[in-house]
Amino acid sequence: MKDDEKEKKLISLLAVRRPEAFWQRQRNAITGAAAQSRGSSRAWLLAPAAAAAAVLVVFLARLPGPAPAPETQIVSTAFLEHLDLLDDMDVLEAVPENEL
Amino acid sequence: METDKNIKAKALAGTDPESAFDLLIEEHQRQVYSLALRLTGNQAAADDITQETFISAWKHLKGFRGDSSLKTWLLRIAANKVRSYWRWKKLRSWVGLGPRDGEEGAPALQDLLADRPEDRPEAAALAADLERRVQAAISLLPPRQREVAALRAQELSVAEIAAALGMAEGTVKAHWFEARKKLEASLGEYL
Repeated sequence: MKDDEKEKKLISLLAVRRPEAFWQRQRNAITGAAAQSRGSSRAWLLAPAAAAAAVLVVFLARLPGPAPAPETQIVSTAFLEHLDLLDDMDVLEAVPENEL
Repeated sequence: METDKNIKAKALAGTDPESAFDLLIEEHQRQVYSLALRLTGNQAAADDITQETFISAWKHLKGFRGDSSLKTWLLRIAANKVRSYWRWKKLRSWVGLGPRDGEEGAPALQDLLADRPEDRPEAAALAADLERRVQAAISLLPPRQREVAALRAQELSVAEIAAALGMAEGTVKAHWFEARKKLEASLGEYL
């Protein structure tokens, strides 16, 4: 056998062979991991904004609250529809803990 | 080379980064994984190294000057990651820690099954046996010869291997000559 042919055969023997499903699975894993790493790097970018928001919340909480608004007379349909649920809550709250 | 330019252009333009990343993986995944597997002899480690190589490359694509091809650049990153893997392994054994749980060298049988169902399972058994023999033969080589042989197995030219490993072409040729002699002796029955 010629030297070149022998080398070609050796190179072909050393190659890694996997079915297409394997490569597809690996591609998905890589893109998934890349998306995760992008997400975490964005989280770092958001950290200063989150800190500023927290400071703002603390600052606003220290301000004297606005005068209480007059009670609204508007009763929405949704509220009326959920009165039954509230009823259930009343019942549950009324049952002593050891009986629940 | 044309595809490399497309990938970089798409990525830098920022118009369609997802598809550029998919293209980068699809184009070079087999070579990166094969190199990692042949150099570590460990399926799980090769998977991790492949993943880390693509993520690192993607992060630093803007810094890629294009002096070499994207392929040799990726393979160079992968080879560096393999070196780090061996350093980490050495360190673990030095401090008396064994291999991690789930660290298995042999590939799972389903990963060796042929695409055509009629070729199973005889082909899988033969492939598994051949895989073990080839991996064992490569693992017996000294590190530099192993790197050169693993890259030659990706059909890279001597010049490309030299670029990927940062070696002189003459050194690559000498390593390949030695590696080939040893591999032909170990795998003679298949040649």
